Amino acid sequence: MEFIINYFNYIIVVIIMMIGLWGMLALSNLVKKLISMAIFQTGIILFYISMGAKIDSSIPIIKQAYDEHHHPIHQVINNADYANPLTQILMLTAIVVGVATLGLGLALTQKVYSEHKSLNEDEILESLS
Amino acid sequence: MIEQAPILIVVTPLLAALFITIIGLYRPLYSWVLTIITFVITSIFSFITLKKVIETGTIRYMLGNWPAPFGIEYVIDHLNALIVFMIAVVGLIVAIYSKHDVKKELGDKIPHFYSLFTLLVTGLLGITLTGDAFNLYVLLEISALTSYALLALSKGRAYIATFNYLIMGTIGACFYLLGVGYLLINTGSLNMTDIFVILSNNPTSYAVLVAFLFIMIGMWIKMALFPLHSWLPNAYTYAPTSTSCLLAPLMTKVSVYVMLRMMTSVFNYNYIFNVLGWQTIIVSLAVIAILAGSIFALRQDNLKKMLTYLIVAEIGYMVGGAWLGNANGFTGASYHIIADGFMTLCLFLAVGCIIYKIGDAQISSMKGIFTKMPITMIGFLVGAFSMIGVPPTCGFFSKWYLISGAYEAQAWPFMVALLISSLVNAILFFRIIEVGYFQAMPNEDPEAHPKQQKYNEAPISMLIPLLTTAAILIGIGLYTSEIVTYLIEPFMDNFL
Amino acid sequence: MIFGLDALSLVLILICAILALYIKDLMGSVIVFGAYSFLMCVVWTCNAAVDVAFTEAAVGAGVGTVFLVSTIYNTRRVDTYRKNRVLKQLFMFLVVCVVGSILLKTITDLPHWGDAQAPANTHVSAYFLENSIADTHVPNVVTSVLADYRGFDTMFETCVVFVAFIAIFALLRTRKIPAKDLTPPHTPVDSLIIKVASHLMIPFMQLFALYVVAHGHYSPGGGFQGGVILGASLILLAISYDFERALEYLNEKKIILFVALGVLIYAGIGVICFFLGGNFLDYSVLSKILPATDTIMARSHAMLGVEVGVALTVMVSMYGIYLCLSSNGRMDKGI
Repeated sequence: MEFIINYFNYIIVVIIMMIGLWGMLALSNLVKKLISMAIFQTGIILFYISMGAKIDSSIPIIKQAYDEHHHPIHQVINNADYANPLTQILMLTAIVVGVATLGLGLALTQKVYSEHKSLNEDEILESLS
Repeated sequence: MIEQAPILIVVTPLLAALFITIIGLYRPLYSWVLTIITFVITSIFSFITLKKVIETGTIRYMLGNWPAPFGIEYVIDHLNALIVFMIAVVGLIVAIYSKHDVKKELGDKIPHFYSLFTLLVTGLLGITLTGDAFNLYVLLEISALTSYALLALSKGRAYIATFNYLIMGTIGACFYLLGVGYLLINTGSLNMTDIFVILSNNPTSYAVLVAFLFIMIGMWIKMALFPLHSWLPNAYTYAPTSTSCLLAPLMTKVSVYVMLRMMTSVFNYNYIFNVLGWQTIIVSLAVIAILAGSIFALRQDNLKKMLTYLIVAEIGYMVGGAWLGNANGFTGASYHIIADGFMTLCLFLAVGCIIYKIGDAQISSMKGIFTKMPITMIGFLVGAFSMIGVPPTCGFFSKWYLISGAYEAQAWPFMVALLISSLVNAILFFRIIEVGYFQAMPNEDPEAHPKQQKYNEAPISMLIPLLTTAAILIGIGLYTSEIVTYLIEPFMDNFL
Repeated sequence: MIFGLDALSLVLILICAILALYIKDLMGSVIVFGAYSFLMCVVWTCNAAVDVAFTEAAVGAGVGTVFLVSTIYNTRRVDTYRKNRVLKQLFMFLVVCVVGSILLKTITDLPHWGDAQAPANTHVSAYFLENSIADTHVPNVVTSVLADYRGFDTMFETCVVFVAFIAIFALLRTRKIPAKDLTPPHTPVDSLIIKVASHLMIPFMQLFALYVVAHGHYSPGGGFQGGVILGASLILLAISYDFERALEYLNEKKIILFVALGVLIYAGIGVICFFLGGNFLDYSVLSKILPATDTIMARSHAMLGVEVGVALTVMVSMYGIYLCLSSNGRMDKGI
């Protein structure tokens, strides 16, 4: 039980990634493969975000940074009060890359459909051989 | 300007791609000229950087002027300086070559083609130059996305082949990202040099092993190591000619470079070879890759598909050489990146000329091609001899280093596989020579069909790049000792 | 970090993921995927990653679902081909179990979830949290790292968006009408409710998006999120009105011009820094040409500049990708 509470997010991350990976390799419908790809990528993003979470911390925007006259207030910032910004930035990039790949995959799917009139990998391979 | 040369290598093609897109809206035919100018400038900058690395050693460039672990850093040392130059030169050669082919196959999408082309080379240059693990992922994805688009710009079977490549390529890139995540969770940093320092101080944990495993698997998918190679033959065979000429020499070799970089500059020698001890398994996998690639190549009638299986075999050389664990093997692997890049380029350029003139790549329809297209076939022959391993072409020297490394490490299966592969290459290429030279052209009415004319050579803009590449192959071979002394050995001293 | 909501959402996420792959009707699959994406945003907010949740809500759950629906509209909704794939699926299940068990075995080696002293949370990111205001005067640490410390990454990320649009455009754009039209017959949307609702929503969406871009330094937001919301407002225009009317506002040539212009603004700022004597993307040297700013404020202003470039590219790119996908390249009519 201790193990589950300490590592809960990481366990779920592995399960989500494996669902996505299985979908990409085993399903035959092209659109389902792309949805599995998106699931796989969001699993990895969850991994990074869980890495950066801290107990009893707030979002990574420094509180009370400026006073009423817009001068920056000098303060000692405690690292444990704010969540980890580095992992969040990496994941912003990963989300955008993921949606770009999804868009390109969908364009390819439409091209495949206009060429072979089918979205099923098995059907297409049969018609080609 | 000189100290800004490292970043200009990457920024020039990036800006050029944007200008090609904008100017291509109004004057589509200028895009070719712009591409060539861009690659000339990039080659000049990469040559300047190469000279500087030989003279002064490793160059480090801080982007945004932030010091190393906090900002992104570009590191140019002896391993990647020559590879960067190779990428720029290959880009230039294929850009010159592509003029007729693109006009014939692509019509009104010319500016988009050159924009994607330039961005692909930008991505590859960036992968080779960067010293930051996550920056490498972003650039890997740029080159992957542009390559999917370039491969699918053809008709017919290209679409499903590229879709399959998209799925496999994304799995590879995501595994790499997962590996970097495990590294981040253990070390807290993304800079390669920083990770190296932190990992050498700490005792190794299971998480670091998994990080290494996933990064390696990700790169093996990207470089098409058997049995993860299934996407390569279909994707490259059905692609437009210029695309396959650009992708075949570069994409897989840059992934091999990333594997070498990860093995040497992030994880250290002691960890990989002494603590993990996987070299026997990986070298056996490389042996299977070489044999499988050669056997599959023997069964093909389509020349282009045969060449893609030869790429699979060549990747086996490089992976096996790197994992032998001694200086000769590693020298062979890094030298072979350059050698194989140019060899593959030469062969694909020749096949492209043949397809442009004859229309298809079936070996059985190449009867009498030596009389029809002699200059093309001279270029093809130089590439073929380099693949077989005939001196003084560079293929001979890389095989020499790899076999010496295998002998030192007593990896007899690997040595035997290398020799068998040379034999199979000889059979393959002599088969083509037999069909092309010794079998006469079918006697038909000369006026009836244009492709039965006596002398029907490819256009000059396709021949000059081909002959230049053939000359480069011989040149690299003759300059082998200089390359090894100035570029590979200083790197080896740091590594071993 | 809110554990209870996080745990509940993750359980629902597992159910959604399995359902999305199991449902035979593709449209149902896509809707469940949209729900999955939205629940992921909730989980990320529970883990204090609000910028990421914002982006995923706009990009993944919003625009991504629209792209998937456009593709299903142009292809086929239900797959009727059946072949026995059980052997292959079992083999892949074994492979996946092996990979999963390797990963699960590692988990005990990792620092606890939420540990503030883990290496990932101390070495480099501690520097960012402690010095962001001193170095750049920007309280939103995510924005300052994104646009300044790791600005080079963000430039290539914008490039990825650019590449996606150019690639989809080059792949799909055709000028010939197919002899047999594969799409279902188009019923033009003439609903008064949709038109009035979008009349009310679009101006506010765009205003909010501009606020998100401009206020990214002080609150969650920034170039990407604002750009995607702007793009979504244009997609709403194309859906609620006629496709041709939407094309009148922004035709193909303008789309291509703007998408390149956005990345050019970003790279251009970098090149200007370079000509003024600093390294590439070293914003502090911009204080020489910007009036009345010191080197630190120059960084803050330059960050706003690059965010504007990013927002422009992302807005036009999302809109352009929607146009290409929904009309299958013909640019005549959409959903």
